[in-house]
Amino acid sequence: MEIVVCIKPVPEPETRLRAAPDGRILDPEGVKYVLTGYDESAVEQALLLKESVPGSKVRAVSFGPSPRAEETLRAAVALGCDSATWIDSGAEPSPDPVDVARALAGTLRSLPHDLVLCGKQAGDDEAGLVAGALGELLGVPDFGYVVDLRWDAARSVFTFHRMTETLQESWEAPGPLVIGLQQAWNDPRTAKLPAILKSRKAPIDKVPVPAPDAHASRSRATTFALPPPRAGAKLIEYKTPEEAAERLVKVLREEAKVFP
Amino acid sequence: MPDFSLTPEQESLRDLARKFARTEMAPHAAEADRTARFPEEIYRKAYDLGLTNLNVPTEYGGSGLGALDQCLIVEELAHACGGMTTSIIANCLALEPILLGGTPEQKARFLTPFCAQYGLASFALTEPSGGSDAGALRTRARREGDHYVLDGEKCFITNAPHAGLYTVFATVDPERRHKGITAFVVSRSTEGVLPGKDEEKMGHRASSTGTIRFEGAKVPVANRLGEEGEGFSLAMRTLDQTRTPIGALATGIAQAALDHAAAYSLKRQSFGKPIAQHQAIQIKLANMVQAIHAARLLTWHAAWTIDQGARGTLESSIAKCFASDAAFAVADEAIQTFGGYGYMKDYPVEKLLRDAKLTQIYEGANEIQRSVIARELLRAYE
Repeated sequence: MEIVVCIKPVPEPETRLRAAPDGRILDPEGVKYVLTGYDESAVEQALLLKESVPGSKVRAVSFGPSPRAEETLRAAVALGCDSATWIDSGAEPSPDPVDVARALAGTLRSLPHDLVLCGKQAGDDEAGLVAGALGELLGVPDFGYVVDLRWDAARSVFTFHRMTETLQESWEAPGPLVIGLQQAWNDPRTAKLPAILKSRKAPIDKVPVPAPDAHASRSRATTFALPPPRAGAKLIEYKTPEEAAERLVKVLREEAKVFP
Repeated sequence: MPDFSLTPEQESLRDLARKFARTEMAPHAAEADRTARFPEEIYRKAYDLGLTNLNVPTEYGGSGLGALDQCLIVEELAHACGGMTTSIIANCLALEPILLGGTPEQKARFLTPFCAQYGLASFALTEPSGGSDAGALRTRARREGDHYVLDGEKCFITNAPHAGLYTVFATVDPERRHKGITAFVVSRSTEGVLPGKDEEKMGHRASSTGTIRFEGAKVPVANRLGEEGEGFSLAMRTLDQTRTPIGALATGIAQAALDHAAAYSLKRQSFGKPIAQHQAIQIKLANMVQAIHAARLLTWHAAWTIDQGARGTLESSIAKCFASDAAFAVADEAIQTFGGYGYMKDYPVEKLLRDAKLTQIYEGANEIQRSVIARELLRAYE
């Protein structure tokens, strides 16, 4: 089985973000980009399938500039992906998720794929559009919010669940498919030190961005801003636990209006 | 100009250690400290990721890292817990005499099976009657045919109650002082090898420290590292290699202390503003970051010197001595920044002072480091 897992380099969660000087996009200066969150779960899912279906291969694919896309791909190789394809965006890429899906789809057309895995959304912009757009562009079914994808060899179908806060569904479908994975349901593994060192020397296939098709995006990000800082917490002063409870209830009722 | 940038390989090693420290070690650091629990499940995970036998070449199943690479990892681990880090890197110390003094046959016989599965090893030099004066050690090794018989006692041995393999320094003739000391690789399963119980310690409480008694323990001649009388030199060359990571360990403790103190100073209000806006606290933070920066650079320089193939005695002594003194001073100032809360066990900084203290004592007390530094220094003027 040929499995492709699409991964996005996103800023390390503890990074202090700021707008670029032109105010349009996130300033990449000094930002460390990593494989994280939903995409880690997607890589873990790819590796679990590889381990359960003999003869499977996993290829990681990432779209972006140097060095962040290449670094993220090496992290995926250190985890156990067999090969890696870097779609070199050159300069700072368009943040439009559909542009990203176009670059991925154009590249995937010339790569074997029985299954395409993504995080259900990116860990930074949380747009959640790439998997869906990729399915459309490749002309194959796509599903998001997926957990526990398995291959039923006897019936040649994939089985999986869709898990959201409000529902759980079970599905089955033959490949090829595009799947957006939920986060952290599968306890993603940590790369081992020897694998990390080996991944530094692994070949990364660098390919150009596919030529835009007739429907190339005409979108353009205009501003990037961080959410305003949250208001400070309210401290309740008290002398006895009873007084603390009484004052807390009063604040919850009259100020927060949590209940009448 | 020298280049202080790390390679992508080194960045990724540091990332691995940082992730392990934050996700596996830090959440258990306070509890293991409070209960003096030896969290062996964490050490097992460290082994699985390749973080325990850092200095052993890959051909024997280790991670094959140089000194600077080791230091980058050790600093990150120590940021989460100094005690756990001591137990995680104790194998490097215990196995270094085999790397430096073992024949190819001995390396293959001892290191390959040891590294193939989770296991701990201990470096057994210190004795109840003396640590720094290693030439005066009393544990006897008497040659009887094709083996030696060991009698005596070692103390303050990291991981001793849990280790399966010991590198032991004993004397074939106490009259010969340094020239009688001989190194042996001893399996814990040897009859007459009696590890004692865990010591109750001030800090590094997630680490295990104990005695090992030898009562007529028979060790094959084939387990002797080098010739009779070469043990003292082997021990000193080992410590030249492993002292620098202690500088990194101390730097990690100091960085953790600063991180706690700086974050607290921005939150804690006094006289109507965060204490970080008071000059008294700003001066503390500025002094702390200077000490840490200097400790880290001295450690990196010592590691770089060793990676160039030099012995690095002076550089590693300076790094270990400076960084450990800095760690103690920075942890002290972190407690002072926290005020009364800093003295409470519910807050994380008092542990850092207790953990920092040991770095001034073990792997050569700082008094010995200073005498080594002075000796190396004066040699240049003689």
